[in-house]
Amino acid sequence: MEQIRKQITEFITTNFLFDESITLGVEDSLLDTGVIDSTGVLELVAFIEETYGIKIEDEEIVPENLDSINNISLYISQKLSQLTADKAAN
Amino acid sequence: MNPTTQRPNDPTNLRLCVRCILPETFPNIKFDTEGICNHCRQEESALAKAPAKKADYRRKLDDLIASVKGKAPSYDAIMAYSGGKDSSYTLKLLRERYDLRVLALTFDNHFVSPTAFDNIRAVTDALGVDHISFNPPWPLMKSLFRITARDDIFSAATLLRASSICTACIAFVKSLTAKTAIEMSIPLSAFGWSPGQAPIQSAIMKTNASLIRQNQKALINSLPDTVQVQMKSYFIPDIYYDLYKDRFPTNVHPLAFFDYDEERIKIELEGIGWKAPTNTDTNSTNCLLNAYANQVHLERLKFHPYVWEIANMVRQGVMPRAEGIEKIYSPQNSEQVEYARKKLEL
Ligand SMILES: [Zn+2]
Repeated sequence: MEQIRKQITEFITTNFLFDESITLGVEDSLLDTGVIDSTGVLELVAFIEETYGIKIEDEEIVPENLDSINNISLYISQKLSQLTADKAAN
Repeated sequence: MNPTTQRPNDPTNLRLCVRCILPETFPNIKFDTEGICNHCRQEESALAKAPAKKADYRRKLDDLIASVKGKAPSYDAIMAYSGGKDSSYTLKLLRERYDLRVLALTFDNHFVSPTAFDNIRAVTDALGVDHISFNPPWPLMKSLFRITARDDIFSAATLLRASSICTACIAFVKSLTAKTAIEMSIPLSAFGWSPGQAPIQSAIMKTNASLIRQNQKALINSLPDTVQVQMKSYFIPDIYYDLYKDRFPTNVHPLAFFDYDEERIKIELEGIGWKAPTNTDTNSTNCLLNAYANQVHLERLKFHPYVWEIANMVRQGVMPRAEGIEKIYSPQNSEQVEYARKKLEL
């Protein structure tokens, strides 16, 4: 989880901010604060799918899953454990 | 050389990524020892998988269209139509490959070039497409463009990918398209985004009501009070989110996953009466505000507002690097910059 949080923070900082020294709060709303816009959300989804090998369904692209660094990290860890469980079951 | 005489966007004075064309002035960019930027490195694995993904998305679109075609009361798709080559080509694809009932919608920002209007008429006539043009009153557009020309009111995320002026216009286009689709029960909304503008993963996507709502709120809040109320009436009304939640369309931008070759696209379009404009700058073939929007962005932020998109296209191999450099690092057409500045009284 800590590792995921670090990777997501780095991705957002590099891709969506002017200044790397700005610290993002892990609970801050990325949409409300304008850190991420609508295209940004889609780029974030593409990055998550590519990096973690998970498939994000359209209906999962909701603020509850993607609106803060904490929510994103939690969502990814849940998807990853689900993936492991599915593999074990097969 | 006196540094004050240097143009901010002159490639001879700038370090560029040797693979794409992002400059050292692009925020947070890092070059490795080979001179390749962090964005190129980050995209390497995704690019390797792109051909398979594109094929997958072509199938996905075929399936989606099979499931909705002919079922809606009036139109199968609404097309955000600027008259430029990318949206003209997308429209052609929807008509000729899929035979959809399409409504083309042009947002007239009062800077649409006469050539673009000629092309809109020629293409919609040739393809048998209904067309509507939407123009808000000039005083509102003028104050919005004057505000965005003077200040970067939107977030960094937005400004890294487009100028403030363009972002304001795109907000109109996106919400008008969605709003019209909802009101007319049109299941698909199509855009001519180039392969560099948005990732393949988002090329077919059901619009997400809660995400749109939050986004529109953030956009409205970025605007000064003087235009907020007026602007809000063009956005999706709050009541729609409950009343019409099943009518939110699926967005598609097919150019992300069909073969993209500018020259071939132009030749195909010329076959249906479209003509390549000569009086607009090299990056936009339809808007007479574009050169000015680019100029103010460059002066303020020191990188070209199209560089992200064009760098993506160079990286993907759909545009030669030299052509990308030519597009991004040539000076803006000064006549057009002046035309817009005068019209906006700035
Ligand atoms: Zn690069």
